[in-house]
Amino acid sequence: MQSYWFGDVTDGRCQPFTGDRGALVSRILLLSARTDINAIPDWQVAVSCGFCQDRAEYLARLQDVCIAAAERCVKEQYSGKDAELLQMVRTLDEIDTVINLLSERATDWYMVRHPAFSRKYRRIPAHALIRTMQEKSRGALGKVAGEIAQLGETRTALAKEVSARANEVMPNTSALIGGLVAARLMAHAGGLQPLCRLPASAIQVLGARTALFAHLRTRTPSPKHGIIFQHRRVHNAPRDIRGKVARVLAGKLAIAARIDHFRGSADPEFLAKAQEQIDSAGKGGEA
Amino acid sequence: MIWIGDVLVSRGEGGVYNERMLGDARVWDPYRSKLAALYHAGNGIGLESSQRVLYLGAANGTTVSHVADYVEVVYAVEFAPRPMQDLIEVARRRKNVIPIMADATCPESYLSVVEPVDLVYQDVAQPDQAAIAIRNSVFLRAGGSVILMLKTRSVDVRKDPVVVFDETLTALEKAGFSCQESVWLAPYHQDHAAIVCTKPAARGE
Repeated sequence: MQSYWFGDVTDGRCQPFTGDRGALVSRILLLSARTDINAIPDWQVAVSCGFCQDRAEYLARLQDVCIAAAERCVKEQYSGKDAELLQMVRTLDEIDTVINLLSERATDWYMVRHPAFSRKYRRIPAHALIRTMQEKSRGALGKVAGEIAQLGETRTALAKEVSARANEVMPNTSALIGGLVAARLMAHAGGLQPLCRLPASAIQVLGARTALFAHLRTRTPSPKHGIIFQHRRVHNAPRDIRGKVARVLAGKLAIAARIDHFRGSADPEFLAKAQEQIDSAGKGGEA
Repeated sequence: MIWIGDVLVSRGEGGVYNERMLGDARVWDPYRSKLAALYHAGNGIGLESSQRVLYLGAANGTTVSHVADYVEVVYAVEFAPRPMQDLIEVARRRKNVIPIMADATCPESYLSVVEPVDLVYQDVAQPDQAAIAIRNSVFLRAGGSVILMLKTRSVDVRKDPVVVFDETLTALEKAGFSCQESVWLAPYHQDHAAIVCTKPAARGE
């Protein structure tokens, strides 16, 4: 038997598919997963089959059902819990960039208005400086400073949400490295499934793209860590064992991501053991 | 192909991506579309109203919309959901664009949908671009053509683009294609080359 989207042909006899649009979509998606199909459809067979009158109708019906099938695929892709988390993390990181850019520009502007002002030797945290600018500046500059402050608040709220969502979507990875960093790893990989398919060595250098490609192209040393540098065990470790801690951590993260993707719940036994190994690597012991 | 002076255009409903219009003709910008660049930098395969095209790596459907202006039907394969949403919108407005959400590396998944075609156009960011073209040639009728837009940087960033280009050409010829044209798309697109091949009339198929 040969199966085409419009029907089945058995021993030269064709059985047109008679279900409605939704059923036809399901049929196409089902056929796309089958491996025993080896024939390509011919519109004339569809006509002689009684599925349609002519080529125009063949194409019109095919287009109609293909659009519906594509829509269903898109919907399914977005239904995963990681799809929204991905957008949240990327938004968060972009807000950071925007805040930094705007703050720098606003400071330059403020210094033109106040030639005597300098940040040197004055320990003013950035947000305090922004508040000062907001209060002391008239017109647009004050408004810009106000927007930056507002954006900062949005950022804090979003970071909390990201962290909470990451704990829910990827409990094991989050437990090892914190919700925010876990979410960043996932965003860099492009989703939870792509992340869990990465080898530990790739997870170790996720986010160190420039360094990695510089290493591949020329003879610079390979990067030891990417985003996972943000974990305290990595950045607190003495320089000479930092690479080792990063390697152990990345190994555990790879396993954690797989548990998250395929099981979806926290595994306390695994977490306790992994934590212990990461800690002992950080103290310079054998992992 | 339709040229107004030295501007490549296609005739169809405009406003797909805010493209410039010359009367009722849509300007097909070689700096945005690699296929348009090929028609500027080389010969390519002329598009005709009787042709059926399999388009791999359809993305947002901008180039697809121009191809659809010329040919009978375009089977547009795209894997990522975000561009697919745009492609679906293009398909809704054009009767002859058939969107397929599938991975071009496994043509088995759309075997029951796509009919034999006259032209396979491939523009994918994958490492094994020659292999993808060869696997998708099952849809190509004997004597049909393949236009492969080779993103040399996607194959291997470490390799010299010229080496990647030669390797791809060798792989295609080994698979029985005869390559009639190969051009670099500079200055329109950096490190991109277009390869035009034909599938010889079948012997054992």
